[in-house]
Amino acid sequence: MKFAIALHSPAHAPSSRRALLFAKAALAEGHEIVRLFFYQDGVHSASGNVVSPQDESDTAAQWREFVSTHQLDGVVCIAAALRRGVLNVEEAERYSRPAANLPAPWELSGLGQLHDAVQAADRLICFGGP
Amino acid sequence: MAKSLLIISRQAPWAGPDAREALDIALAGGAFDLPVAMLFMDDGVLQLAPVQNATLLQQKDLTANLQALSMFGVEDLFACRFSLNERGMQATGFSVDPLEVLDDAQIAALIDRYDQVITI
Amino acid sequence: MATLHVLSHSPFTDSRLSSCLRVLGPDDGVLLCGDAAYALGTGTVAQALRTKSTGLSVYVLDEDAKARGIALPEWAQSVDYAGFVALSVHYDKVNTWL
Repeated sequence: MKFAIALHSPAHAPSSRRALLFAKAALAEGHEIVRLFFYQDGVHSASGNVVSPQDESDTAAQWREFVSTHQLDGVVCIAAALRRGVLNVEEAERYSRPAANLPAPWELSGLGQLHDAVQAADRLICFGGP
Repeated sequence: MAKSLLIISRQAPWAGPDAREALDIALAGGAFDLPVAMLFMDDGVLQLAPVQNATLLQQKDLTANLQALSMFGVEDLFACRFSLNERGMQATGFSVDPLEVLDDAQIAALIDRYDQVITI
Repeated sequence: MATLHVLSHSPFTDSRLSSCLRVLGPDDGVLLCGDAAYALGTGTVAQALRTKSTGLSVYVLDEDAKARGIALPEWAQSVDYAGFVALSVHYDKVNTWL
């Protein structure tokens, strides 16, 4: 089956880790992930600035590794990201902000990408909250 | 045939970005000519209150964006009767129309009818 | 069509579970994740859920029940992540109460 996975919570939320483990299990079971779409506070799960203590898991880093390893389409909603201060280099320059904190492999795009994923996938699963 | 999407909006208008971000999904869907509907439930029905003054809170007026839904082709709007009753709201005179008020069994049937659901 | 409803908020501080229970379809399932696992057990919420569970499939994410020391009642089923994926395939759609 084809899955579209949306994440609405930041890296420190249990639901961000839960989404990642679900995504890993989906691939392990032979399913396909059409797109990961990070929306609302989910944009913070894509932040490159999260600093986790060494004895705690770094969910943001694990997300990056997961997307890169499996060459998935990892999209962060641009409107949600901008209002929360998650910017890539291009947007940081455009808005003259002091820093960019959205690293590769994340791409900024609009809600059209969420709709596109919903149309392309067999299942949409959203994760968020605690 | 395009997959249909039901967005269930459960938060009060200025509880944070949730009301706005749920609406944005609906507006984007309409802009792409996709079959999208919205259900207002729990505190989401508070977005439909006829008297609202967002500017006093330096917030954007959500009502104007709700009214834009029909311009974007999103005409299937629903509200939960139970939630309205809980909040002492009338089932008429909403800030946006037309809007159909549903009881719980009808909401279950509504959810069943749509291909996908996002509940914010 | 049957929907899998996914919850992760504690039912004692949040109204998502009670709202969800009002709008369930006849073949729907409920998956309790995170603090929603506290809906199991012997408290008032568990009683309400158990009453509904005669027609309803109740699942809990294994790691969340175990981490919280919550015993699995006979009217609920525990699933791991592979099981979570299988549920999302089995049901026609997934509705997460974000």
